[in-house]
Amino acid sequence: MTAQPAGIADAIKITDLVKQFGAFTAVDHVDIAVPKGAFLVLVGPSGCGKSTLLRMLAGLDEPSAGEISFLGNTVSSGTGGVVADPRQRNAGLVFQSYALWPHMTVANNISWPLKVAKWSKADRDARVNEVLALLGISALRDRYPAEISGGQQQRVAIARTIAPKPSILLFDEPLSNLDAKLRIEMRSELMRIHRATGATSVYVTHDQVEAMTMATHVAVLNIGRVEQFGAPIDLLREPATTFVATFLGTPPANLLPVVRRGAELIYGDLPLADAAIAGNLDSAQLLFRAQDIGIGRVEGRPSLAATFSEAAPIAGQTMVTAMVGDVRITGMVDGYFHAMPGDPIELSFLRDPDAVFTTGGERVAR
Amino acid sequence: MTSKSPTLASGSRLFRSETVTPLILIALVAVLVIAPLVKIVLATLTPDGLAAWQAVLASPLSQNLWWKPLANTLILGFGVASGCLLLGGFLAWLVILTDVPAPRFLGVLSTLPFMIPSFAAALAWGTLFRNSRLGGSAGFFEVNGIAIPDWLAWGLVPTLIVLVAHYYSLAYTIIAAALSSVGADLIESAQMAGAKRPRIFFGIILPVVTPALIAAASLTFAGAVSNFAAPALLGLPVRMQTLSTRLFGMIETGSGERGFVLALLLIGVSASFLFLADRVVSGRKAFITVTGKGGRTKRFALGAWRWPLFALAVLLGVGTTIVPVLVLAASSLAPQSGALFSNWTLHFWIGEGGGQMAQGQAGIFRNPVLIDALWNTIKLGLTVAGITMVLGLALAHTIVRRKGTLLANVLSQLAFMPLLIPSIAFAAAYIALFGAPIGPFPSLYGTFALLVIAAAAHNLPYAVQSGRSVLGQVSADIEESAKLTGASAVRRMLVIVFPLAIRGLLAGAILVFVKMVRDLSLVVLLFSATSPVLSMVAYRYASEGFMQFANAITLLILVICLAASLVAQALQSRVQKWKQS
Ligand SMILES: Nc1ncnc2c1ncn2[C@@H]1O[C@H](COP(=O)(O)OP(=O)(O)OP(=O)(O)O)[C@@H](O)[C@H]1O
Ligand SMILES: [Mg+2]
Repeated sequence: MTAQPAGIADAIKITDLVKQFGAFTAVDHVDIAVPKGAFLVLVGPSGCGKSTLLRMLAGLDEPSAGEISFLGNTVSSGTGGVVADPRQRNAGLVFQSYALWPHMTVANNISWPLKVAKWSKADRDARVNEVLALLGISALRDRYPAEISGGQQQRVAIARTIAPKPSILLFDEPLSNLDAKLRIEMRSELMRIHRATGATSVYVTHDQVEAMTMATHVAVLNIGRVEQFGAPIDLLREPATTFVATFLGTPPANLLPVVRRGAELIYGDLPLADAAIAGNLDSAQLLFRAQDIGIGRVEGRPSLAATFSEAAPIAGQTMVTAMVGDVRITGMVDGYFHAMPGDPIELSFLRDPDAVFTTGGERVAR
Repeated sequence: MTSKSPTLASGSRLFRSETVTPLILIALVAVLVIAPLVKIVLATLTPDGLAAWQAVLASPLSQNLWWKPLANTLILGFGVASGCLLLGGFLAWLVILTDVPAPRFLGVLSTLPFMIPSFAAALAWGTLFRNSRLGGSAGFFEVNGIAIPDWLAWGLVPTLIVLVAHYYSLAYTIIAAALSSVGADLIESAQMAGAKRPRIFFGIILPVVTPALIAAASLTFAGAVSNFAAPALLGLPVRMQTLSTRLFGMIETGSGERGFVLALLLIGVSASFLFLADRVVSGRKAFITVTGKGGRTKRFALGAWRWPLFALAVLLGVGTTIVPVLVLAASSLAPQSGALFSNWTLHFWIGEGGGQMAQGQAGIFRNPVLIDALWNTIKLGLTVAGITMVLGLALAHTIVRRKGTLLANVLSQLAFMPLLIPSIAFAAAYIALFGAPIGPFPSLYGTFALLVIAAAAHNLPYAVQSGRSVLGQVSADIEESAKLTGASAVRRMLVIVFPLAIRGLLAGAILVFVKMVRDLSLVVLLFSATSPVLSMVAYRYASEGFMQFANAITLLILVICLAASLVAQALQSRVQKWKQS
């Protein structure tokens, strides 16, 4: 246990956390700390260890090594196992499957945890009514889980989790079972609830739009490791690795492999940038945002012949994807753009690359 | 298109196949299921019948005819249901929700006892525990100096034990299925709420599986009250009567009406409990667990209890499957029932008659009656399996394709009715209907045909069930696309439905076959002296004290059933493979 006073301790502090299943490392030396009231989003591809990390935060699994502390109190450690079991953590978990108890009505699902926590009947009833109203599901109180829709089940699951007023809220892909429209609705609902409860939230998703819109802090996970941890805007602006750069952002950023030729970095035969930006590297990867790539030749800028593959209109602009050999490049044009797949088009690089990475994927400091 | 109106042609085809077939089916099922029941009711409303009601329910005889058998039957029913819930529930909990070693092995072991017919278990019990009170040779324990008190050798207690040993695996199967639907998430969310283990068990797990517990209790109850073999073998020698043995006795001794009255009462007892349980379950909300990604189940750590509980489960499984089979096998080889493991001889299997042994009777494979019975049994099994599967498929097809219509509802209700009727009472109803000539038709009593018809009718629920699951593999689209080509119903059935369904059908047919081969309670009333079946011959030998012969024949039945089950398993896994690819 640390000696820090609770007032300034991080709400959640994860130190050098490891989780192994046999020889397989699912969570690999993770370090993350967020202050009280933060909305931490864990993103990453399927199987990268997000749920495993969340379950350790919940106290359902014990870490193999490392430590987790809430407000300065150690709750799990590799040496002590689960120090504080789930009910002592003052944390609530919303399961991906919702995990509603099928034999209890909506109201009972919400009040049972309060009963377990020994709330009085009057307090329970009042709180149940309060959270039902907060989530707009008061009309469903006497239904059974099997009698309500998926979106409604999800609201009940959230209501059940926030009812005991946990100081830490954990969400495991709570929106992944919903259709697109409901997902956007629930996203703002969740934000509202987060603000209303003032809890510190940890939210697992592999949807990067969710990550970008909801988070105060984002941790991008890849094969059990944290690729980058920071504010969403920082991750977008200054991706630390090519993995982060290509995982976040819509449309996806373009990465082009280049080699040094004299004072220039060339892609194929095309000089793209001054070799100085790559330091003394002989080969590198350059990051170009979609908005930095235009369609059609532009005087004084490098351009490249490509084959049109698809176009998607976005907010008055069109996102155009074209192939150069095996490399997929995405650019933007104003207005609408039409072409047949296979048509030849010209891509121009409107600005200098946004970032430079080693061939191994590490960002080169400028 | 020709000038001939196509609507007319298709209209008449529609009429023929779409309306008439279901009507024929309804008529058929009505004759098979309803007519015997109506007839048995009517038979008890004649002057003789009314006298029988009075004799059974309100006369000096009724103590022996009705009240005592009823008490015994209910004790057996409730005792077996509780015992099965306890054992089956314990094993299901162990296998599904704990970290016991080798859960898969235990799971298989726990489903096996149901494969062994209850009369096999009863015979094995007798071979071990029989005492010399009733004369005849004593059982293994007594001969070896361990005195067996009467209550453990005969009557209620051994009957109860044998029936629990037979039915607990049914309870296990139902409860285990329910428990494995309780996802880890449900339990973990209760953990997150701060509930401790007992609270989770009583607050979450138990309520969720309650419908399954009720179902298991009611099915094992119904099984126990209608069982004939165990009380007949272990209870009758000491005059312990249940409703089914009483009913058998009445019909055997020619008091048909009294038998019919008892049959109706037995149906009432068994069906009312099933009905009650159904009401309780459907009165509650259907707890369909709302599952998401991954069907993980939570396994609790048993700690120091891991191996002791494992050992207990293995002991239970072995004691109710392997031990009885071994006892039967040893007994069929041992000339003295007290010395199960010495002087083994094949005399009871293949010995020539005329010697000292077995009062000069030849071994079962040299006994023409037995060879006859073997063929009859197989013939019966095959015929019934064939007829029920065809009927079951036709019924299932009509029910599935006309889902929601009155017709389909009536059909499925009718087809499932035999499930509520104990087979011995069903047999009694058939005797009531076909025991006397109907119009120009001669009496069918005692004929092979009657046995086949009754058995086919009684197996209808299973046949429809497997027909439905088979048809689940043939989607309506597939058939409708054939319909668009203009193929007739019969042709669609032959060319599309049948080939797709054949494997599943065979598997279903084998199940019916197995049920028939080892059935005693239906054949005991309907079999005929001219065409005996194996189980009946075994029962006869057992009641006459020729235990080795009875045991040998029982073993033969087991082998036939086992072989058939293996074939069914192989077929099922082939089907599985085909569905996966
Ligand atoms: N109990 C377990 N035993 C062995 N391996 C496991 C176990 N639980 C998870 N893993 C492995 O750990 C890795 C991380 O799993 P985890 O469930 O945390 O992934 P995830 O990031 O949540 O993925 P998804 O987005 O698909 O939910 C996976 O490769 C998984 O196979
Ligand atoms: Mg996950």
